[in-house]
Order: sequence, then C-alpha cells, then structure tokens
Amino acid sequence: MVGKKTLGIMIMSAPFGSQYADHMCRVADRAIDMGYAVEVFLYGDAVHTQMNEQAPKLFFNVGEALKKLIDRGAIVNSCEICSVARGYIKGEKDGKKDYSSTKLIEGVRFTTIYGFVDMLARADKVISFGGS
Amino acid sequence: MPRLVLEIAHAPFGHENAYAGLFIAMGWVSVGNEGVVVLRGDGVYAGKKGQQDPFKEINLPPTEKQVRDVLETGGRVVADRRSLQSRGIGEDMLIEGVEVLGEEIRRLIIEQGERVLAL
Repeated sequence: MVGKKTLGIMIMSAPFGSQYADHMCRVADRAIDMGYAVEVFLYGDAVHTQMNEQAPKLFFNVGEALKKLIDRGAIVNSCEICSVARGYIKGEKDGKKDYSSTKLIEGVRFTTIYGFVDMLARADKVISFGGS
Repeated sequence: MPRLVLEIAHAPFGHENAYAGLFIAMGWVSVGNEGVVVLRGDGVYAGKKGQQDPFKEINLPPTEKQVRDVLETGGRVVADRRSLQSRGIGEDMLIEGVEVLGEEIRRLIIEQGERVLAL
C-alpha cells in the first residue's frame, strides 16, 4: 500500500436497521476504485456487520459487500470488546488472538481502541457513519 | 501532531455513543495526539458534573470521569452554547475545564478537523 492514500472509516450502526452499513460499503468500494487503501473499523452495534451468512430477502446484502471489500484488499478491523459483548468471539480466543468462528466473515480482524487510534493517525482521510 | 475532532450528540446512560466516543478520545490523546471533543445536542449532558449511577443499572463509568480524564490528559472538551441553553443547562453545571462555545464551534470543527468522527 506504499504510495496509496488511506481512507479510514468508522461505523457504529448495525446493518438493515438503517442504511449506514450499505452506504459505508458502497463508499469504501468506490474509494478502492479511486486508488485508496481502505481501512474499516466496526464499532458498537456495527460489529453485526461481520456476521457470516447474512441472508436478507429484500435488502442490500451487507455481509456479501463486506466480503467483497476484503477480497479487494480492504482491511476490516472489528472492536474486540464490542464483539465479545455481542457474543461473536466469546470463548474462542487463543493466546495469539486468533478468533476462529463460523459466525464471522473470513478476514475480519479484531483490535482494541488503541488499534483504532493507530488507524486514525495513519489515515489520510477519515469518515464516520451512523454515529448520530 | 495529528488532530481529531470527535463530536458527541447523544446523552450518556440511555445510549452507548457518549461513552464510546469518550473512550476513543481518551485513547487518542493518551498517546500524545491533539484532540477536541465537541458536545452538541443531547451530547452536552455528558459534560454535566455530579453524574451518578447509584443503582449500578448500566455499570459503566460516568462520562464525567471520562471527560475529566480527557481534560487531564491534554485534550479539549467544548460544549455548544445553544444546546446548553435549550436544555436549561447553565455553564456552572458543567465539569470544570469544559469550554462553552457559540458559533465559533463550527469554525473549530473546520480548522481542527483533520479527522472528524461523529457519534
């Protein structure tokens, strides 16, 4: 990613209850088209975006969009504390913080608030979604 | 030094955002970065002193402690004057060190907002 500008994205809203997650995925996808390296931080209820096998009948499939972003090189970090609180990684942590789980979309990483602070500091641009 | 503006528009206790936002702000300033927390709308309740959770209903630290921690670590916390007035919150009801700004708050967001998060 040397030479690329980085877009940092924080999202706080869960998918389907609002369209923030849809919008975030579409903005991130376009940013990759435009040559940005994209890093996403899922915070609070937005960690539900990392749930595998989302199957909305009518709505935009946020899970599939997130998989596509990861396949395209986006880094998707998820709040560790928020994910434990919502049952995504409880009891599945090993000493190396490898949280294997069938609940999770492959490629999602976990980080603390300090990992997010590092991401904020190195980003050239930052956008937040769904906080208000 | 990287700069961050973090706007909080939700009140503490009934909603996670004020707590979550101040958690980020603390992490940000604790590693030497420059940060301003803007309390706007219902977010101004996070700047009130005398917060308590006597029944431990949510068992989170009061945002009063978080605000004090951010201030003591070198961050700024500003409250929007209009939001305070419309909610009947006087400046004397705020945590010591919280600044009150009017229209200047918009300028601060633009000038200081290299990175802006809204919660």
